[in-house]
Amino acid sequence: MTKLTYFPGCSAHGTSEEFDSTLKLVMKSLDVEMEELPDWNCCGATSAHVMTENLALALPLRNLVLAEKLDNKTMGIACASCYSRMKSTKVEMDNHPELAKKINSTIVEEGEYKGDVDVKSMLQFFYEDIGTETIAGKVTYPLKGLKIACYYGCLLTRPKNITQFDSPEYPMSMDNIVEALGATATPFDFKTECCGASFSISDTEIVLSLSGTILEMAKESGAHLIAVACPLCQSNLDMRQPDIAKKRGKKFDLPVLYITQLMALAFGYPLKDLKPSKHIIPIEQALSHIGEEIATPEVKKKPKKAVEAESEVE
Amino acid sequence: MARVGVFVCFCGANIADFVDVPAVVEEAKKIKEVKYAIDYKYMCSDPGQGMIRDAIVAHRLTSIVVAACSPRMHEKTFRKALSDAGMNPYLLEVANIREHSSWVHQKDKKAATEKSSDLIRMAVAKSIANEQLHEISVPVTKRALVIGGGIAGIQAALDIADARIPVVLVEKSPSIGGKMAQLDETFPTLDCSQCILTPKMVDVASHPYIELLPYSEVLELDGYVGNYKVKIKRKASYVNFDTCTGCGACWQKCPVKVPNEFNMGIDKRKAIYSPFPQAVPNKPVIDAEHCTMLLKGKCGICAKVCEKGSIDYAMQDEIIEREIGAVVVATGYDLWDPKPYEEYGVGRYKDIITSLEFERMVSASGPTGGVPLRPSDGKIPKSVVFIKCVGSRDEAKGIEYCSKICCMYTAKHAILLHHKVHDSHAYIFYMDIRAAGKGYEEFVKRAQVETGATYLRGRVSKIYQKGEKLMVRGEDAQIGQVVEVEADLVVLATAVYPYKDNPELARLLGISYDKYGFLSEAHPKLRPVETAKAGIFLAGCTQAPKDIPETVAQASATAAKVCGLFSGDTILKDPMISKVNTDYCSGCQNCVTVCPYQAIVTEEIPLGHGSKEIRTVAKINEGVCQGCGSCVAICRSMAIDLAGFTDMQIINEIVSI
Amino acid sequence: MIALGQQIENKFLTAVNKKSGNNILDCYQCGKCVSTCPVSSFMDFPPREIMQMIKLGLKDETYMANSMWFCLTCAACSGRCPREIDIPRVMESIRHLAIEENVNPDDPHVKNIRKFHEIFLDMVRRYGRNYELRMMAEFNIRTRNLFKDMHLAPKALLKGKIPIGHEKVKSAKAIQRMFKLAEKLENTK
Repeated sequence: MTKLTYFPGCSAHGTSEEFDSTLKLVMKSLDVEMEELPDWNCCGATSAHVMTENLALALPLRNLVLAEKLDNKTMGIACASCYSRMKSTKVEMDNHPELAKKINSTIVEEGEYKGDVDVKSMLQFFYEDIGTETIAGKVTYPLKGLKIACYYGCLLTRPKNITQFDSPEYPMSMDNIVEALGATATPFDFKTECCGASFSISDTEIVLSLSGTILEMAKESGAHLIAVACPLCQSNLDMRQPDIAKKRGKKFDLPVLYITQLMALAFGYPLKDLKPSKHIIPIEQALSHIGEEIATPEVKKKPKKAVEAESEVE
Repeated sequence: MARVGVFVCFCGANIADFVDVPAVVEEAKKIKEVKYAIDYKYMCSDPGQGMIRDAIVAHRLTSIVVAACSPRMHEKTFRKALSDAGMNPYLLEVANIREHSSWVHQKDKKAATEKSSDLIRMAVAKSIANEQLHEISVPVTKRALVIGGGIAGIQAALDIADARIPVVLVEKSPSIGGKMAQLDETFPTLDCSQCILTPKMVDVASHPYIELLPYSEVLELDGYVGNYKVKIKRKASYVNFDTCTGCGACWQKCPVKVPNEFNMGIDKRKAIYSPFPQAVPNKPVIDAEHCTMLLKGKCGICAKVCEKGSIDYAMQDEIIEREIGAVVVATGYDLWDPKPYEEYGVGRYKDIITSLEFERMVSASGPTGGVPLRPSDGKIPKSVVFIKCVGSRDEAKGIEYCSKICCMYTAKHAILLHHKVHDSHAYIFYMDIRAAGKGYEEFVKRAQVETGATYLRGRVSKIYQKGEKLMVRGEDAQIGQVVEVEADLVVLATAVYPYKDNPELARLLGISYDKYGFLSEAHPKLRPVETAKAGIFLAGCTQAPKDIPETVAQASATAAKVCGLFSGDTILKDPMISKVNTDYCSGCQNCVTVCPYQAIVTEEIPLGHGSKEIRTVAKINEGVCQGCGSCVAICRSMAIDLAGFTDMQIINEIVSI
Repeated sequence: MIALGQQIENKFLTAVNKKSGNNILDCYQCGKCVSTCPVSSFMDFPPREIMQMIKLGLKDETYMANSMWFCLTCAACSGRCPREIDIPRVMESIRHLAIEENVNPDDPHVKNIRKFHEIFLDMVRRYGRNYELRMMAEFNIRTRNLFKDMHLAPKALLKGKIPIGHEKVKSAKAIQRMFKLAEKLENTK
């Protein structure tokens, strides 16, 4: 059994409860024991580093130090924003021991930072530590027929020197997981565009504009729903969707599901475990596509331009 | 008793600003053997040299120390001054107080001054042990090797051959012509590339002084300037060129289709093929990687249809040797692979192509009959976006340097697009327009004014697909607005990158290359076509990105260098070579093993003391020795000394400080 | 008109370079950041222009711009910058310099954004964690925009999206001490 320190983040106990609960179901199926970080604190999100330098490092550092007291090698983080703060603090501390000492002085009682716990987003944990093959092996209810636009947002794969995971421009890890569940991932060019999450409350106009473009492109890709791995992305794209639809004068009807909800469903948990009532855009209609045959449009004639150096005999 | 003269140079401000030159002169005067010391603004100038000449005579000097710039710059100048005053030129020592002192210690004048004095003290001590040396004369093989049969190699070969010097031209592909043969029209005059190139290709084939070796590669180069020996692999073509008439029956009937490299993979060629209709030589070769006869022993159609019986499936690679005196390297360039530009969707979108692919499409002899077509659906594009600096000037994803030719060929592409598709429009994203060349700015104006191409100043940040269109987003910094162009086709002006095998070639030739893989010239300004190795020259893009006029000019320059080198029957060589003192030589032959030039042989001499027995000792071949000193270092019995750098000279230097 | 040539030393450039660990002189104005940035159209000056303003030493104009307050730190720009400038870091540095020098842009958006962050940090200081409903409410009260997003509230509450109760870190004192010490560090630099 794999063990993992779990950092839920503030929204797991609030706006993204269904992420938290399905994550726990999925981990159970995957035989992973999650140990919640005791007495964790807020990572400071965008606010800390907007306003101050030291606090922005001190808040995540406390969690990193607490995590080192447990036996687990890796800390898995549910929220992309928490992950970003925690991972960049780790990189900063590991690369600048002097700075680490300085920041460590604000949390003397918690102990000294050693840097021996790895920090991963849950997506990264699924992809690297579990693997798509294992995930596919757990599927009892394949999501065949479901077309999904995978939305990563900005923080799961960026900046590359911090995350060291997947492509910052066109990541495929979630797409591969979705395919392992039996669904079809649609070609979606806006998968790493920012949804404006950090302005979710303070500047709604911007959010409506940015999230609107993402929804439009996801719809254009032919998706039935959007998969995410970040609570901020989820709440922006889901909660703001009616406003965006009104503003743009068109309906999207694109439910926004956590990757863990989709995994739970494919692993055979009943629909009610996904907590459908939490969603502003209802998920049932989209999920009814499961079982449909998908006509593949891309199998026309081979393009004239032969890229591969294959030879063919007339 | 030694009488040394010391001449300290200001080098304008180069040395004087960071070294207290008068103090250095005073310090030099304190050395016992120094009978004369003086400073001057520019020692390399005529008056400066005059001072040296006069002092030699007036003060009866026995050796000279010039404290100035690197000996690589002016050692020759000062040696000449010594000769003119009747002194052996090798009694000169240069103390490099510029590169080794003033330039590197600009923040500490005191330390730089002290170090300069030390360097002079060492040079004086060394010069006292200097001996009179004389240049060595070696014979020259008057035949040149040209590596690479693009426009650079073609021009160099023709110019050298026209001077009635035999040339061996080695080209790795089945035909000469290189990248220029793939171009449609050329800037800034829009003359047809093939029309101006093919006459030169034919000249090469028919020139009595050129031995053309297509489908061949250089394997080894031994020897030294004027006396190289080269090993060349002639790859098996499976076609007897002597009997083949180039009738084409074989490739018409060959059933195996392979992506056509010459057309950037847009169409197919056969497994037996000649790369293009005007190929020189116009004889086919069999591509062994794809021919089913060679792979599986089945087929044999080409042999059946060949009336001359020229097909020979049993043909083997052949190694040949040539003796040559000089080498011109003209291996050209490769195009940079734009894969790292993930934000452009390179590899995901079929309708993003490179400039060379576009060039093949607009070429009348190209795979689409001279009309650009969208690879996705074969439609003629109306809105075409050209993106410059893809890979160039991009440290993050590509390379730092400017590829130099893209501004011009992109302007050309806009004009050609307009010629081929009248109701089209070109949008060009650029960072700067670099049009420095005769007629170049006028040419860009033509693209902008006559063709009406829209120039947008900014780097494209993203390309995405919307329906059948590609959406190209960038900032037009001129109006400070983000623009999004709806495009049918996107053409990437990818960077000019060094030929991929340059590092390997450089190693086998014994020359250097830069961090990208471009071969290095001896001096960026004053010796642009020479390498640091005597007798090896560079032409064209193998050294750095350049356009056709510049490439041709450089190729002709290498020819002038080769002709100069071959102007006499012998060439003079530095006398700084190893000498064996046979009295001490134990005959262990360690030196023979370490010599990188195979310059040491053994000889048998009488044991001495009237004995009839003989013993084996090392012997240096004066013509071959390059004076590297490896043998001196390995010799256990200290029997070898390097003229100009004898043990005594070195010890003197060390003891002096 | 901008008058140049009177002040040779560019102290502003030096300060930004030092704080951000980047060299603004690396910027060659290609504008890739501008068309990458999802919020550049909301900015007074997009990133490329901010870079040039720093090069010209236009400190006051830069501080008064809303640009660095609008930066989402999404890092799309820095991932594409051909000169590898960490633009979000530069934006952050200007913001911190402006805070240190106590410069407040007049832009109402900036005021909102600042207020939001202050409330957020206040919440973390008090509870060690963030408490979403209370934060939304406080934000609306403090920005005197009581009914903003109110149409979302009943739905969100009903669906259990935003819980009414909240939790605290057990060692809240440790957090408060951390805040104090971090502030001290900030001031001793």
